[in-house]
Amino acid sequence: MSRLAEKPRFDPYELLGALESRRVAYILIGAFARVIQGADEVTEGIDIVPSMRDENINRLAHALDDLGAERIDGKELDVSPESLVKEAVLALQTERGELKVVPEPAGTRGYDDLRWHATGEHIGKGLRPRVASVNDLARMVAALGRENELPQLLQLRRLAELEVSRGIEL
Amino acid sequence: MTAGRLLREARLRARLSQGELGKRVGRPRTQIARWEQDAVDPGFGTLRELLRACGFDLHSELVPYEPTEDARLEKNVLLAPERRVGRMLRALGQR
Repeated sequence: MSRLAEKPRFDPYELLGALESRRVAYILIGAFARVIQGADEVTEGIDIVPSMRDENINRLAHALDDLGAERIDGKELDVSPESLVKEAVLALQTERGELKVVPEPAGTRGYDDLRWHATGEHIGKGLRPRVASVNDLARMVAALGRENELPQLLQLRRLAELEVSRGIEL
Repeated sequence: MTAGRLLREARLRARLSQGELGKRVGRPRTQIARWEQDAVDPGFGTLRELLRACGFDLHSELVPYEPTEDARLEKNVLLAPERRVGRMLRALGQR
């Protein structure tokens, strides 16, 4: 039986802090990244694209262990480069909320593609995660082609326009 | 969204280099780069041709303009990321 019988309260600071303390290299994507970039939405989880280098996946495995992570589908959790490449999305429940590990998000080539335009953003409590750019976030949403995510896509397009009009190079 | 950003998104999703896309449309790589940087506007017809070379099409339709949502986003953009996260967490707590 799962140790996480009750859904834990989402605490992005503790979640990201666990990754930072193990020096995991990752890029934030998904709804939480969109919020950091200015989108008007609410989420109770974090999505990351990790560097798939062996040593980084080892660090990620330690961080997930610290967080008491379990697979949402109930299968045994195996965090290795070989197992991760087989997963489109590894959905986990942790003691600090949901965490999705996405080795190669739709429309991208993964960490090495996204890191070029990702920026470190101060989100408080001493944390400065690297966050995918507005344009890359839009690329991912567009590539998924989900009709219910059209509002998110339109928001990202508008945010891109606003950033251009404020003279920020993405 | 600018023409250049849309073009770059399409090219990256098609996993093409600027040179490869240039070959497909018979234009030099430097021209593709200028379009992507929005240094030059390709025009609607050329943009559509470029997107099709990437395997996409431009679906154009008129949608209602929502100034209230724009105003919200404009406000958000002015906030520091830390405050954006704080706002979301407060909204989450209110649920």
